[in-house]
Amino acid sequence: METKEFHYRAYRPRPFTKEERSKTTILFGGLTWKHERLIQGSLERVGYKSMPLPNIERQDLDIGKEFIDVGACCPTTFTAGNLARTLMTLREREGEEGVKNNYLFVTIGACGPCRFGQYHESYERVLEGLNLTDFRLFLLDLMQMEQSAPGGGLEISMPLTFGLVYSMFYADLITDMEYAIRPYEVVEGSTDRVVKESIELLYEKLKNRPIKGKKIDSLVWHVFTGYFVDALKEVRRLWDEIEVDRLRVKPKVKITGEFWLQTHEGDGNYNIKRWLEKEGAEVIPPPVAVWMDYLINMELFKLEDAKGFVKRYYLKKLAIGTIASLYRMVYNRLRRALNNIPNPLPDQRKLKDLARPYFYYRLTGGEGHMLIGKALYAYLNRQAHMICELSPYGCLPNTMSVGAMAKVLGDYPDLLYAPIEIKGDAEVHAYSRCQMILTEAKRRAKEEFEEVLERTGLTVEDIRNFEEDHPELRRATYKVPHYGYAGTASNYVMHIAKLMGRI
Amino acid sequence: MGIPKFLNIWGTHQFWVGFFQSLGVGRIVFSSDTSEEQYREYGKGRITMDSCFPVKALAGHMGELLHKDINLLFVPMIYSLPSFLKGHVVDTLSCTRVMMSVENIKAGFLREKNEFEERGIAFVSPFVPFAEPELLPKYLWESLKEHIPGLTLEETAKAVKEGFRALEDFERKMREKSLEIIRWCVKNNRPAILVLARPYHMDPGIGHDIDGEFQQYGFPVLWYNYLPLDDWLLEWLFGEEIRAGIIRSYFDISDVWTSSYSSNTNEIIWGAKFSARFPWITGVIRLSSYECGMDQPTFTPVQKIVESSGTLFFKFGELDETKPAGSVKIRVETIVYYLEKYSQDIIKKKLSRLGAVPSQLLV
Repeated sequence: METKEFHYRAYRPRPFTKEERSKTTILFGGLTWKHERLIQGSLERVGYKSMPLPNIERQDLDIGKEFIDVGACCPTTFTAGNLARTLMTLREREGEEGVKNNYLFVTIGACGPCRFGQYHESYERVLEGLNLTDFRLFLLDLMQMEQSAPGGGLEISMPLTFGLVYSMFYADLITDMEYAIRPYEVVEGSTDRVVKESIELLYEKLKNRPIKGKKIDSLVWHVFTGYFVDALKEVRRLWDEIEVDRLRVKPKVKITGEFWLQTHEGDGNYNIKRWLEKEGAEVIPPPVAVWMDYLINMELFKLEDAKGFVKRYYLKKLAIGTIASLYRMVYNRLRRALNNIPNPLPDQRKLKDLARPYFYYRLTGGEGHMLIGKALYAYLNRQAHMICELSPYGCLPNTMSVGAMAKVLGDYPDLLYAPIEIKGDAEVHAYSRCQMILTEAKRRAKEEFEEVLERTGLTVEDIRNFEEDHPELRRATYKVPHYGYAGTASNYVMHIAKLMGRI
Repeated sequence: MGIPKFLNIWGTHQFWVGFFQSLGVGRIVFSSDTSEEQYREYGKGRITMDSCFPVKALAGHMGELLHKDINLLFVPMIYSLPSFLKGHVVDTLSCTRVMMSVENIKAGFLREKNEFEERGIAFVSPFVPFAEPELLPKYLWESLKEHIPGLTLEETAKAVKEGFRALEDFERKMREKSLEIIRWCVKNNRPAILVLARPYHMDPGIGHDIDGEFQQYGFPVLWYNYLPLDDWLLEWLFGEEIRAGIIRSYFDISDVWTSSYSSNTNEIIWGAKFSARFPWITGVIRLSSYECGMDQPTFTPVQKIVESSGTLFFKFGELDETKPAGSVKIRVETIVYYLEKYSQDIIKKKLSRLGAVPSQLLV
């Protein structure tokens, strides 16, 4: 029984110095290729070399299982496996010293007791397993505007933070456009092409954006500048060229669930959004921005609870309330540049109040009460025909809110709700479950469409004829208002009826 | 007043006894220990989502209490915990599943009909942030005022103080008992076993009485959450590392664990550090339930902390409702063999790394 060393010590990355910046590439991942490409632009603007990890593939799950402790949740296993695959590929290409000296990995966390705040513990197992404990892995705090890693080489400054926020907003908005348009595109593949062109255009804008100030002046410029809105106006012209047919009757499926799984686009969630589209649905993807909005508003709600115990309560409330308002104001300005096609951010107070009888809002972790609030909001406001909730196998908080949905379904038996547990290697099971609910959603979408035709007295032929005289209606960027129906086709018929003076 | 004996109640029950006694609540009824029978008879049909067994078992506890003579069912959503590590770690939060379990299981009793109302029992589940003592009376008062006529915020605040006093008294007694056991080990040069688990693994239906099996072989069993915290003892074990600048206090775990948000996890990590240093703890038994996401990232660090000092480490992982009594007994026999074979060497080796044994241990 030989003892290797007397005391175990946690992994500490060796420093990353400013001098190493020019020859070291920052690896990062965890979001969609769109988000990652734009983050790359933001990082490059302030002098960092960066490279997103490759998109998640099925093999990452198996690789992850080899390295990390048993019982990990599905996202941890996938992302740890993805990191391992990347490091193995780089080692093969550039040798062990090359990986250790020319690259480092940055991840965010530090948001609480769920595994999300402890991902790095699993990543450290990957480094141990690959005998790469000298490789540098830095954990950054999600809620810090300014921070730095040991050595000073990695500094998150206000201009970079705002660049990252705009990267997130841009990618969210383009993703919203993408899923709203693709199911109705007349020329197959045109949406995907424009998405790529849009992201490249925005990447260039982020990479070449001016740096105005370092602190408050940086904040003021980023909030009030027209630079980012103008970039989206250019993007809008690309989308103008896509022709759509909104008379295709499709069930609308709102995606909710655990943060990584719901935003992911790849094998990590069985590519379920693309699969739903193939099955004839229109998907409402979840923006990353909602989650940040939730975190900001939770600070406000907690503060309100503590009124009477907090010094300078009104000043603090004003400060957080201002941040929350500015956040939404910027998001809405950007939406307007795309003719408000992307969905607005939901009102966090409404989500909290809707969820209140079923899930207490201070039970934080994962998305907390938001899963229930979002499902109810979508149902009551006829935003979607069906909710598809993606829950990772082994997720801590998500399973609890999914369970609490039992009472919601008792109170709202008409709510079409498909909680899908994602294990990473059981897609047939997941698709099958989703398909069952989707069948009912399709029926409802069809019934709703027939009802609208009857109500307006219009036929499809009437609408086609009207479209011929008004070709702008078939543009992807034409905004169809919401008339209280979940389906795009139904709202479109109502809109045509209104334009024709029928209602 | 019915209180289910579940999850975080295992670490805070004395608080609740002190709190409700101070409020003059006539009778507190706890549910039984977790058992397969309880789960099947009272929990069946109320589970709305697959989860770890400790969480699912709550349905059995709540269901059992609905059949007892109570007016009020009190099931707190314990968000953060009182912890001896508070001030030395980032936070003392509960496992997210544990804190949220009440909302999940409650749904199972409400989805078809309101079973609480049907039995004339009021259901109260306050949000309980032990780490925010100023807010604790407010949340408790807001949820109890409807059910305890005339209850004031001031009375609730006073009862919270009484609750903390009762909990502190209980923990002090438990730590004194642990010290007594440790002194017996030192005096007789006998090894002890430390259990690293969650407090609810003390529930025989969750921890399967594995600690009891070791006691039958004559090994004293200590639990990390009631280890003695006397300065002279901690100075002996950790003093040198403080002076070397490796840690800032006896309770600092940042040298081995950088994500110190979760109370139970932090304490398990600290317990592992204690066991690695204390000579007469020669074996550590790790208990963990199936699907415990909080434990999962800690498996390797805890094992490495313990084994790096030569202390024997054994893990009973993935514990579920099925009690594998036969295989547990065989495993315990094997572990006992190793403990008997190596303990004296381990004690000697660990003693050689420390200064003279404090006189307080030799009493």
